[in-house]
Amino acid sequence: MKKYWWLGLVFIGAVILPLVIGEFWVHVAVEILIMGLFAVSFNMIFGYMGQLSFGHAAFYGVGAYATGILLVKASVPLPICLVASMIAAGICALIFGYFCVRLTGIYFAILTLAFGQLMYYIIFQWYSFTGGDDGLQGIVPPDFLFGATNYYYFTLGIVTAALIAMWYISRSPFGYTMRAIRDNADRTKFVGINVRKYMLINFVVAAMFAGLAGGLLGPFNRSIAPDLCNWHQSGIPVFMTVIGGPLGFLGPMIGSVIYTFLMAFVTGFTEYWPMVIGLIIILVVLFIPGGVLGLVEAKAEIFRSKHMASGAEESGHTESP
Amino acid sequence: MSGETILKVVKLNKSFGGLKATNDVDYEMTTSELSAIIGPNGAGKSTFFNLLTGYHKVDSGEVYYKGRDITNWPPHKVARLGITRAFQVSNIYPALTTYENIRQAILTKQNRTLNFFTPAERLAKKDTLELLEITGLSQNTNMIAGNLSQGDKKRLELAIALGSKPQMVFLDEPTAGMSGEETRETMKLVERLNKEMGLTILFTEHDMSVVFGYARRLTVLHQGTIIAEGTPEEVRANERAQKIYLGEET
Repeated sequence: MKKYWWLGLVFIGAVILPLVIGEFWVHVAVEILIMGLFAVSFNMIFGYMGQLSFGHAAFYGVGAYATGILLVKASVPLPICLVASMIAAGICALIFGYFCVRLTGIYFAILTLAFGQLMYYIIFQWYSFTGGDDGLQGIVPPDFLFGATNYYYFTLGIVTAALIAMWYISRSPFGYTMRAIRDNADRTKFVGINVRKYMLINFVVAAMFAGLAGGLLGPFNRSIAPDLCNWHQSGIPVFMTVIGGPLGFLGPMIGSVIYTFLMAFVTGFTEYWPMVIGLIIILVVLFIPGGVLGLVEAKAEIFRSKHMASGAEESGHTESP
Repeated sequence: MSGETILKVVKLNKSFGGLKATNDVDYEMTTSELSAIIGPNGAGKSTFFNLLTGYHKVDSGEVYYKGRDITNWPPHKVARLGITRAFQVSNIYPALTTYENIRQAILTKQNRTLNFFTPAERLAKKDTLELLEITGLSQNTNMIAGNLSQGDKKRLELAIALGSKPQMVFLDEPTAGMSGEETRETMKLVERLNKEMGLTILFTEHDMSVVFGYARRLTVLHQGTIIAEGTPEEVRANERAQKIYLGEET
């Protein structure tokens, strides 16, 4: 555990953060956490299972609507709403995933995209239940979470817990089975794994965490709209993961920090945000294909090998968080 | 245990387009046998293995394992029964370490792959290290498997197959790409697994010295059909087999 001491520092930094920045940036920080959780859950499918989901926003949106509807229409306590968001997203993923895991590669991407759009249109059209394209307003958090700072701490706690859970999953035998499927699905079958079943379980678990992220969004924004399920929403975790790096566990979170912060910053003085992010993606893909985390790791590797050149160190391969 | 029928194949057929890759093949193995299937390229050896392990669906015919009809079972179920295989072209997890490759097979066998919360590095340590030792991969424990030498990849291939603690193993050219020394070591290991652990082993091989040195029964396959069967001496004496296959080699 000793090598992860810096994560403790990051967490302490995150706790102190709202005390030193203005309210606008606290809002941005909440968004970073929520989108980061969304992106890390996306990477359970992309990075660990090796399939590109282009419909992950469906589960984010379902999670947002589950909490939104339960809060607005039934005044259910927020923690229960969040659990309901995870369950709703999980059920939805079980149905979509049943079909999606039959395919891989581009076909998997296209089918997830299609299911994502299906979800979008259902929410868009179902006025009586979801509010249709008007969205859902008046999603009010409980009193003790009213201020931006309070909601920030609440989100920080939940996102941290979710990340720890996903980190454990990524290192568990299940997590390694996903890597095995990514690396060589055929071989994994001959070892005795029902590959489709495992892919489906992973798809559902990833969707549940996306649903949790969605659930956190409504009470923060006070409103939600069907756009949360739309395909460009599905593209955001892809961007974040590419920027941050898909091979490290925290890559997508780092991507969220960069993406969300830049968006808040850039939209302050120009409306050409999509052009800026487009340019960044192009530069990352061309010059640092492993993402920011990949770059940092490569540098750290050089640093380490320089300092340990004398010792007969074994090339211990560990995945960084 | 020895002497009981473990595998029985009845009138197995498989075509790809117009090509008959497996033609009315009947085959039987008894427990703890060490046998080989030989035949020129394209004789249908790999297809035969693919049919037995559920990778291809058979056109007609049946496969029985310990009296149980396993025809067209999916690969993961066949593996769970205790039948594993090693592939001709090494079929490993190139981005995982040697250790992780083997551990994956062992964790699967131990039914631990639905464990979500125990770090994998704490599990199956003893078994994994033991298998690394047996297969001679100990020096490469933490190497990324994709960077292993060709011979070591084949050894790892075998180690993964053994990680499932099988009762029956199909080895598709287990020594392909190995040096003479490596070949001898690998075949000695195969022999040991057969003698000491009672594994039933069926392998294919191009190297005739390996085939005649280790297999106790030979089956010659040609264009999907069995044309000769028997002890190495009997097959060596078989004129048809000589003409089709052995003649090419010497």
